[in-house]
Amino acid sequence: MTTNGAVLEVKNVSSGYGEVQILWDVSLNLERGKLTSLVGANGVGKTTLMRTVVGLLKPSKGQVNFNGSDITRISAHAKASQGLVLVPEGRQLFTDMTVFENLEMGAFTGRAKENYKQNLERVFEMFPRLKERRDQKSGTMSGGEQQMLAVARGLMAQPEVLMIDELSLGLAPFLVLDLFEILRRLKDEGLTMLLVEQNVQMALAVSDYAYVLNEGQVELEGPSREVAKNEDVRKAYLGI
Amino acid sequence: MEQLIASLADGLLLGFVYGLAAMGLTLIFGVMDVINLAHGPIIALGMFAMFFISGATGMGLNPYLALVIIAILGLLFGVCIYFIAVHRVLNAPHLSSLLSTFSVNMMIIGVGTAILTTTPRNLVFSIGSISLGPVTLLGTRLVAALIAILVAALLYLFLYRTQPGKAIRAVSNNRAAAELMGIPSTQTLALSFGIGTMLASIAGGLIATFFSFTILAGGVYELKSFVIVVLGGLGNPTGALLGGLILGGLEGIAPVFMPVSWVPVIEFVLFVVILMVRPTGLMGGGR
Repeated sequence: MTTNGAVLEVKNVSSGYGEVQILWDVSLNLERGKLTSLVGANGVGKTTLMRTVVGLLKPSKGQVNFNGSDITRISAHAKASQGLVLVPEGRQLFTDMTVFENLEMGAFTGRAKENYKQNLERVFEMFPRLKERRDQKSGTMSGGEQQMLAVARGLMAQPEVLMIDELSLGLAPFLVLDLFEILRRLKDEGLTMLLVEQNVQMALAVSDYAYVLNEGQVELEGPSREVAKNEDVRKAYLGI
Repeated sequence: MEQLIASLADGLLLGFVYGLAAMGLTLIFGVMDVINLAHGPIIALGMFAMFFISGATGMGLNPYLALVIIAILGLLFGVCIYFIAVHRVLNAPHLSSLLSTFSVNMMIIGVGTAILTTTPRNLVFSIGSISLGPVTLLGTRLVAALIAILVAALLYLFLYRTQPGKAIRAVSNNRAAAELMGIPSTQTLALSFGIGTMLASIAGGLIATFFSFTILAGGVYELKSFVIVVLGGLGNPTGALLGGLILGGLEGIAPVFMPVSWVPVIEFVLFVVILMVRPTGLMGGGR
């Protein structure tokens, strides 16, 4: 086991839906304990990359390594039980189930069950609203509350790597700030994260390292501060 | 009037058992969007399992103990059907799963007819009857209704209070999200299909304790299940029990006013009316 090395390595991955190839030879590394962001315009393949890494899509080429072992071909649920957890775009809650049941289902795997009690206390402390609404059907909550639950459910899974696809999409600004505050806290606690964000400015401000994806390829990568200073990035994504 | 009450009571008892069978059909549909056209033959296999395990020419075990064995066999059989005929067409258009389960239907009926013939069988079994005022209830039907209620309650507890039950609801609600949370969705779907066929085979076993049957007998109950499922809302197990009661009650009362042969006509008129007026079912429907 490597300390401080790459927890997750994506090597030369090509992927897509059937005949339609979306990703071309994408490589990406997640350093342990670091928050990495993946930014880019709509439709450049960010979600496709997430789905491929986590096993909902099979790559046509390339390899995904997790803690040094090849996990390219194993199923999504097996990856989750190893600690590779995705908070998917559009929340994808169990809308017919209560808030509490969603959290329980988050803790389905063996590694998550071991830490069920601490994790439950932790997410209720992070998101007091969820505690108030624990017996409410999750589909009847507001968008912001649903996003909180999606993140909380992901944390219940005891992730070693937490990937979040579009944390802030469609949320009110004050909620976005709250959620980014949570991210910062998780980062300080040492959780390895990959954040996909359309809010490029905030993503670059909170992350340690960033990848810019364009037309299914990595266009640029580097420490987030430097990426934020890059002229092309500023023009294309920051509107400056 | 007395005859009406007696017929209604009798019909309602049957209704619970019909409801149990329909729960199996609706559970499978609710979880994986598959309409199991092998539902009828599985009910018939439940009847024959009862015949061979409890019948005088079979092993002669008490029918209510036999139900436990039938339940286990029904579960295992369903899991097999899932992996052989359902899993690979799950993401295909609906027609594929209809054809696939219909093939299972034809295979069971074909093999069943060859081996078991279509001579009616029956279980010679009686546990007396109970009289409450004008109403005389046959013991076998009363116990069958009680068992149906018990099984329905156990199903409810399983789905809402246990981890694998909640996993079934999670997979039913959002399969991709369930995978992301580490829930093995394929095994969960296989289990759901198994539970669906288990309910159908238990219902078949119960029906065998008071009606005669052949391998073709399941068809009638399959049609009843469809009517019930539409009444209660497709994908809604609680609705299925209510639908079963309505259908059973109707079956009990109708013959008092008209020839028995009109009963199916009434049932299917009801079926069509519900589809036209309230296609989500009386209980609003699972989806």
